Amino acid sequence: MQGLPLSFNDVSKAFTIKGEALRVIDGMTLECPAGSFTAILGPSGCGKSTLLRLALALEEDDGGSVKVGGDDPVLARRSGAVGVAFQDAALLPWRTVQDNVRLPFEVLGRTPDRKQIGDLIDLVGLKGFEKAKPGELSGGMRQRVAIARSLVTDPRVLLMDEPFGALDLILRRQMNLELQRIWSAKRPTTLLITHGVDEAVYLADRVVVLSPRPARVLADIDIPFERPRGPELLRDPAFHELCDEIGAHLDSGRGDA
Amino acid sequence: MNEAKRHLVTAALIAGLLIAWEVTGQMKLVAGGTLPAISAILSRLVAEFPEYLPHLAETLKTASTGFVIGNVIAVAAACLFCLFPLTERLFRGINITVFTVPPIALAPVLVIAMDGNAARITLAALLVYFPTMTAALTGLQTADPRAIDLVHAYGGGRFKALWLVRIRTALPAVLSGFQIAAPAAVLGAILAEFGSGARWGLGSFLLGSLGRAEPDRLWGIGLTATAISALGYVAAALAAKWVTGENRALGLTVSQVRSEPERGRLHKAVMVVAALVFPFVIWQVLIWMSGLSPIIAKTPYGVFEYLFLGRGAESAQTRLLVALGETVPVTLLGMLVGLLFAFLLSLISFLSPTIMRAILPFALFTQTMPLVALTPLAVLIFGRGLTVTLVITTSVTFFAAFVVLAQGFAMIPKSAFDLVDAYGASVLQKLRLIAIPACGKWIFVAGRLALPKALLGVMIAEWLATGKGLGNLLNQSRGYLDYGMIWTVALVSILLSVALYQLAELAEKLVTGGRSKK
Repeated sequence: MQGLPLSFNDVSKAFTIKGEALRVIDGMTLECPAGSFTAILGPSGCGKSTLLRLALALEEDDGGSVKVGGDDPVLARRSGAVGVAFQDAALLPWRTVQDNVRLPFEVLGRTPDRKQIGDLIDLVGLKGFEKAKPGELSGGMRQRVAIARSLVTDPRVLLMDEPFGALDLILRRQMNLELQRIWSAKRPTTLLITHGVDEAVYLADRVVVLSPRPARVLADIDIPFERPRGPELLRDPAFHELCDEIGAHLDSGRGDA
Repeated sequence: MNEAKRHLVTAALIAGLLIAWEVTGQMKLVAGGTLPAISAILSRLVAEFPEYLPHLAETLKTASTGFVIGNVIAVAAACLFCLFPLTERLFRGINITVFTVPPIALAPVLVIAMDGNAARITLAALLVYFPTMTAALTGLQTADPRAIDLVHAYGGGRFKALWLVRIRTALPAVLSGFQIAAPAAVLGAILAEFGSGARWGLGSFLLGSLGRAEPDRLWGIGLTATAISALGYVAAALAAKWVTGENRALGLTVSQVRSEPERGRLHKAVMVVAALVFPFVIWQVLIWMSGLSPIIAKTPYGVFEYLFLGRGAESAQTRLLVALGETVPVTLLGMLVGLLFAFLLSLISFLSPTIMRAILPFALFTQTMPLVALTPLAVLIFGRGLTVTLVITTSVTFFAAFVVLAQGFAMIPKSAFDLVDAYGASVLQKLRLIAIPACGKWIFVAGRLALPKALLGVMIAEWLATGKGLGNLLNQSRGYLDYGMIWTVALVSILLSVALYQLAELAEKLVTGGRSKK
């Protein structure tokens, strides 16, 4: 299935906290073409997660428009076109691994695709743990369940909010490899929010650097490396040069504030 | 100390207390034998058990029916409040009324307005409603927000989120609500039996046995009532333990900025007025629906007419004011004594968990005791003065306050103690510097929860022991068939209870609000 384009057009969002307005996003425009992989980098609290929540219609924008496949995000998510993984695995502790992965089907009111569920659990390396409860898994394994769940409906848009943030470096690299493999196979339009510069450069076609709150686009950088990208890319000087350049953009944003 | 050793110490302490009771009873040390030996109570209980059976069966039937009905309504209400938060605000007046209402004041009114059996079940159900509703609502509302987001992200609405995530999350909380609700149902059933002149039921059995000066029989009935309460409590506790294992939240909790809904002043004012008026509207509608004579069943206006416009209005006002003057100070005093007792107990539990482990079963035991069933015994031991009122009031108020305060003590981060330990602080210094200041807010919470119970304790003591105040006025009016006064006392004691609760809440807000500003 083909990816759907994702677009933010002059989007603004403010929160009211104790009667005071807090501008989180201020007139942001961002186009993610169908089948692209975009990584978003920015300091903590700059509104990255809010951007993703807008695309999921978990928040309403105050101005501008957010479109998923040219449609309202509410329609997109109802049609099952969107897959999501949060920083927290957000597993239901009373359900087994396979029942957690099955959850999106239940919400959408579709018949669960048993083969797809089994294949995905296999893909994220959890074969044999189908009947385990989340409490019996390590943090990394839980996060992999969440990744499997985000892919189970064959989403055309994949939204990920620091899905590997809680993992250690070794596991994180391993998960990056797996995510790249899955993405290359199915090509959903992917928006990855992350704190890790190397993770962003390694995975994405394009890295967008945001300013501190209210979020603006500071830099929009194409990542030229050939796919499939192997672990050796992490040792490539060109890779590190690009990481440094993006790191400099992040620092310049901090200087502005 | 290891686990086995701890259990041993606990068992030894419990055995010691039981032996002390037995010896005290055998030697008739308390008020000329009004505290009989356990062996005497139990042997009489066994001998007379066939006589107990029909009463026991009736109370069990009433309590369990009330338990089921009350819980079904409570869980349904909690789901409604969770799905549509506006309804919770609308029902706020009702909920506070149900929480604060002294059941003893309500029993005569229910008996007037309904068939005896329905009245008893209603009172049991009413006492069940609040603990389960609050527990269920808290459980539903504290569901993992990420899991809720996930359901929404796949297009699920609030009903889907309720069904897939919230209800299962709330299950342990609901069961812990049942723990409190089970003894409450028994209390409600016995209270209603007391006030309804029923033939069967432990309450009626007790009332019939009051005249005879047989403390071992009264203790037998009291213990039987306590046993069925405790059984309900333990069953709910076991069920709760069984489900909580799987429910512990996993992973990190991520704080999320969420917009508060903006509400104007007008909206707030409308909601407050609605919450105030709504209970009266329901009262009026229920009376209309019942089709009872206005002489027996008073509407809100009927009570107003009785108290201010009717022929005996002035005399009614005087009697009411005198009664209030007697009840209010004792209630406040009772609350303070209960709080102090709870504070000392939580302090002991904080300083010595072993002693606490021995006391806790007894403390729990007092909570499952249907208070009315033990009041006659308290009278035998403590007489009919202020002491008996304070003893009864303390026994109803301290436990809830203790749980809150112990929680306050427990929430102090261990690192705070490690810090002062590093400077060699003594136990007293740790208390003064950390434990007591940290408990400040919790004392107010405990007070708010204890006040309505204090009023209940005082009214029960007045009714059964001291012959003063609102409790006595209620009892007298029943004797004189003074329906206007029965309804008036019921209303006034509810209003008093709500007012005290709101004052305590206000005090709590002032204190905690002032603290957070610093």
